[in-house]
Amino acid sequence: MESQFYTLGLTFNLVIFLTVVVLAVWIYGIYFNFKKWGLGSTGYHDQLRNSFWLFLATWINEAFKDGLWVFLRTLVWDVLILRRTLARSPVRWIMHICMFYGFLALAALSGIGLMVDIVVHFNLLGLAESAELVKEYMALPFDLFGYLLLFGATIALSRRILIKFVRDNTSAYDALLIGAVFLITITGFYAEWMRGNAFLVGNAFENPIYAPHFSLIHTLLALGLFALILPWSKYIHIIATPMTLLANRGGE
Amino acid sequence: MANEKGSKPLMTGYMLSTQLMEVDGCNRCQECMKWCPTFAVRPDRPGITPMYKNARWRELLAKNHSLRAKIFGGKPLNDDEMKVFTEDTYSCTTCGVCGTVCEAGIKTVELWEAMRPNLVARGDGPVGKQSFFPKLVKADRNPYQAKQDERLCWVPKDIKIPESGEIVYFAGCTAAYRQQALGVASVRILDKLGVPFAMLGKDEWCCASAMVRTGQREVMAEHAVHNVDALKDAGAKNVLFACAGCLRNAAVDWPLWYEGYIPYETMPLSVFLRERIRKGDVEYKIPLNYSVTYHDPCHNGRHLMHLKGKDWAFEASRDCITSIPGLKFRDMVRNRALQRCCGAGGGVKAGIPDLALDCAKARVKDCEEVQAEVMASTCPFCRRNIMDGRNDAKSSIKVLDVVELMAASMGLDTTIPENPYTKFQEQDVLVCTPTECKLDTVERKEPGKDLLPEAH
Repeated sequence: MESQFYTLGLTFNLVIFLTVVVLAVWIYGIYFNFKKWGLGSTGYHDQLRNSFWLFLATWINEAFKDGLWVFLRTLVWDVLILRRTLARSPVRWIMHICMFYGFLALAALSGIGLMVDIVVHFNLLGLAESAELVKEYMALPFDLFGYLLLFGATIALSRRILIKFVRDNTSAYDALLIGAVFLITITGFYAEWMRGNAFLVGNAFENPIYAPHFSLIHTLLALGLFALILPWSKYIHIIATPMTLLANRGGE
Repeated sequence: MANEKGSKPLMTGYMLSTQLMEVDGCNRCQECMKWCPTFAVRPDRPGITPMYKNARWRELLAKNHSLRAKIFGGKPLNDDEMKVFTEDTYSCTTCGVCGTVCEAGIKTVELWEAMRPNLVARGDGPVGKQSFFPKLVKADRNPYQAKQDERLCWVPKDIKIPESGEIVYFAGCTAAYRQQALGVASVRILDKLGVPFAMLGKDEWCCASAMVRTGQREVMAEHAVHNVDALKDAGAKNVLFACAGCLRNAAVDWPLWYEGYIPYETMPLSVFLRERIRKGDVEYKIPLNYSVTYHDPCHNGRHLMHLKGKDWAFEASRDCITSIPGLKFRDMVRNRALQRCCGAGGGVKAGIPDLALDCAKARVKDCEEVQAEVMASTCPFCRRNIMDGRNDAKSSIKVLDVVELMAASMGLDTTIPENPYTKFQEQDVLVCTPTECKLDTVERKEPGKDLLPEAH
């Protein structure tokens, strides 16, 4: 098991270190964006504040302006069920729902997976064996949510390619970012398939020698292309859109 | 000068911090592009659509507020880029359909109206004749260089209007000086119904809508405070508006500038009249045998629905129209919250008139598609612009206000008394005999007086 962490010259500790660096950059990026948004004012024709904290205060004030009930209603209907997207386009709603929940679940599972890997690697509290078992149980949800994300990403990519209006208004920037999501998803699947005994495909792509290498490539792509650049690119909408919906109590 | 301007960073002073977040909340789904009325007539200029404007704003802001700028220092803004961005930002009628369909829930009208003052402060905006608005309004308290003392010169002599009362009719500058048929029809109906209404007369100042829409806010505060105080002094409890632009400003914008308590309710005249129709107070005498459609003004519709509900915003006017005997009502394909803007809003009529005209022609085509003879509305600016579009497209449709249709069917005398502004009147009218009505157009007798077209 441990050999999986010594591949392409990267040790387990180095991967953990890289993950911590990416997380730090990510957190700083979120702080940076909040501070940038704080360049605005706290109210109509109010003076500028230029403050991270006053952005948060303004956001909280706007989001809870109509009370807790409206906030919760917006959270459920607009953020979690994507009511506004459904009203406009069922296909785009399916795409967004798949990507949104696929991404959220995989991000959460990846976080848990990382913790479990640490437990296994250092045999924390002597729980290495139990942690291995947990990892096995996590394989199926990883697969299911992976397919969900793949389905959404495929719709996203297809509509950008097949629908003329959408294609004409797709910038290189859009293409790069959607392509990156697609690439990360695909490499994730292939990494899983190479390990063998994968959901739906069984051992068809099993390759125990290169599986750890490919798995690492997927991890690095996910960290680099997605987590690292999320706050600095269009991906920031993953944070900004739900916050906008909440601040505007569901929008117009 | 160009260099000085270029060295100034993009300003964010008029934007809420949550609005800066909204720009980043755009997920580029392109839904707004499908509905944008200006993009529909300028398909070669995607830059005017919300998705591209947001992207451009992000790029311009990033020049001085990105990580790169933080590490290596900011970059001056390119004058050409700013010119294009300004043109794109001002090529928006602030109709708000983009906000209605936005998946991210961005309040787009407020966003564009917050971006524009920053462009004005930086010296990039406004565009075209929009810069005349504050000067004219500050000088005369209306945009038509008309005398405030003559605000009520069009009121028929047999109608006595007090200066105070619980119900106040706020006519607006356009009904007072340029489309007096609307004003006369409104006061005739209220008088016929026995409504004890007051008007502010010379104390009624321009609502200053055009200033807010074009990012020139400096006159706004003065006018908002004055009008609210005047209405309070008059003892108003209910203020009626037959002008969508005034209504929006009174309901949405004035309270943002007024610090005290506002004791009255703002109400579209159509809502007030619908109540009277339901009570059976309105008695129609002449059937109007026309096919009529209704154009929802943005200011009276989408902009009002969040504040007063969809019933007030969309249904009240339709209920008034359909109560008229003989009339055949047909909705256009794009109606209510998804209606197509006439193109006059956001200062476009004054700033980029050819764009406003093309939008109006698109709306005229919508009307022709449902084979309506009359397009009714509740906004003098929509009416002005659609009439211009109609003339340019050589269409036969007539454009009237809902209250004018009602007044005609009620058999009221809507003759406009001779006054100093008679020669500036230019509007479609319904000329009625005791048994039937005929559609006609009053041509303007003295052209070239206005510095600005009627625009909000």
